[in-house]
Amino acid sequence: MLTSFPSFDKRVIIFAGAYGSGKTEVAVNYAIGLATSQSQSVSIIDLDIVNPYFRSREAAFELEAQGVHVIMPHNEMCHADLPIILPEIRGEIERSDGKVIVDVGGDDVGARVLSSMVDAFAPKGYEFLIVLNARRPFTSDVAGSLKMMRDIEISSRLKFTGIVSNTHLIGETTTETVTEGYELAVEVGRAAEIPVAFVSVVTEVAQQLDPNVVKVPVFALSRQMLKPWEEKVKAVRGL
Amino acid sequence: MTRILMKGNEAIAEAAIRAGAIYYFAYPITPQNEVGEYMARRLPEVGGVFVQAESEVAVGNMLFGAVASGKRVFTSSSSPGISLMQEAISYMAGARLPVVLINIMRGGPGLGGILPSQADYFQSTKGGGHGDYRVLVLAPSTLQEAVDLTMLAFHLADKYCNPTMVLADGMIGQMMEPVEFPENYVEEPVPPKDWATTGCQGRAPIIIKSLALDPVVLEKNNLVLAEKYKLMKRDEIRFEAYKINPKNRILVVSYGTMARICQTVIDELEQENISVGLLRPITLFPFPAKEILAEAIKPNIESVLTVEMSMGQMVEDVEWAVKDKKPVEFYGRTGGIVPTPEEVKDYIMKILAKETPAVKSWNG
Repeated sequence: MLTSFPSFDKRVIIFAGAYGSGKTEVAVNYAIGLATSQSQSVSIIDLDIVNPYFRSREAAFELEAQGVHVIMPHNEMCHADLPIILPEIRGEIERSDGKVIVDVGGDDVGARVLSSMVDAFAPKGYEFLIVLNARRPFTSDVAGSLKMMRDIEISSRLKFTGIVSNTHLIGETTTETVTEGYELAVEVGRAAEIPVAFVSVVTEVAQQLDPNVVKVPVFALSRQMLKPWEEKVKAVRGL
Repeated sequence: MTRILMKGNEAIAEAAIRAGAIYYFAYPITPQNEVGEYMARRLPEVGGVFVQAESEVAVGNMLFGAVASGKRVFTSSSSPGISLMQEAISYMAGARLPVVLINIMRGGPGLGGILPSQADYFQSTKGGGHGDYRVLVLAPSTLQEAVDLTMLAFHLADKYCNPTMVLADGMIGQMMEPVEFPENYVEEPVPPKDWATTGCQGRAPIIIKSLALDPVVLEKNNLVLAEKYKLMKRDEIRFEAYKINPKNRILVVSYGTMARICQTVIDELEQENISVGLLRPITLFPFPAKEILAEAIKPNIESVLTVEMSMGQMVEDVEWAVKDKKPVEFYGRTGGIVPTPEEVKDYIMKILAKETPAVKSWNG
């Protein structure tokens, strides 16, 4: 299957979802994809105020190298588990002419921070995408996924505009894993009356997907959020 | 069985439920908060109770009370929180209570940081609190193993009536991997809990305490505990050998997350025709000392290297195990910095070139 970069007209693209659904991997890849495929400036806002590790700030070096401006807590505060909301975030959304990617922390708890910025997002136009992984404990069926969406919508005061089907098992992901997840996403989308915007999966699996089954763009990921034994060169976590 | 993708902390929490834990007491601390969040969501579904205490000191005492009832009880915390529980852990060891403790280690000493560390080895394996006691310590290096060892921890706690700890670093708690849970979990029988305070209607009251003013009684209790630790050393030592063979020039001893990094290094060195083996302790107490010695004395082994996310703690047990038969080297990083495969590989190359410093761990 040919993979394609799923583009949106909207300037602000927000990735939210359950804990561990893969928002950060998708958001980081998406930001790099945007920066390398079009001329507008691209920034990514690390708005994860609930996770202590594996946040998009850990990919800051790679992101900046690809021309993505990373907005994250400064100095030693980038290692903190504090709900730090930088003044630059609102500034970036209100003043930037380019694309702004927002990586939000997990669940309704992580998404609550968005509610204080609804007035900044609204005039610029935004996509609010729910990242779903059907192999995660609380979003493995339609009811669980809809509940997660509803909880996040209530706490964020934003309405989802699309679904990112990101069902995977990291190194054990097969085409079946992805297809099953996609089928669930279609059902969830039908119930919630929003489209499946795209399927995201690592390149090796993306190429094997059947276009007659997966009828939305497939965004090929290259894993950025690696574990310490997977990274050969990366010096020190965030240091 | 369906494989699902879980965060380590969630996997441990679900494993505890599958093992029959129904009482959970905790106080929040990074990087293990997902355990409590998961328990808050799941425990009511199985008729259990989660009490968030006012501090870890309170958690420790709540555990004592609850586990005395004979039900399966546990807590999870991270380094500073586990320190606050030490008094109660000593009491529970003295009172022979089968509590399960989960420690998702972060960098110390003091409040330290929130990134991964293995610097609670001394505290976990050498007692931690006051008095002559030991905690049985299990150290997972994958999330599937975290599931299996958490379930095993409840079994071993009941088997020995002894506090049992799952000791993992923050990386294990925070990372994600596919796991599966046994569909029909069957355990070996454990001794009947005839010591439990289940209500004394029709029988004499049972009082569970660690106070023994009569020195003969107190010493007798210590001898009973010592006997249990001997049995653990005889029956419960667990470890994994990775690419151990007669051609190994270096024997690496490493546990948890650090062992996985060492595996990557060993694979890379194998490509370069440098043979290195890994012995990964799974039980930290009881420690696989004899097994390490047996490998260390093999003729091709030039030295034994311990790699830890600490200034050198387990290396003391490795030095003791190897008994000067071979040089023992140490490499470690702290503060939440996880040594990269590159760093460890460089250090092994230095050992082979005999360029490593004479003083190994911090105490020489």
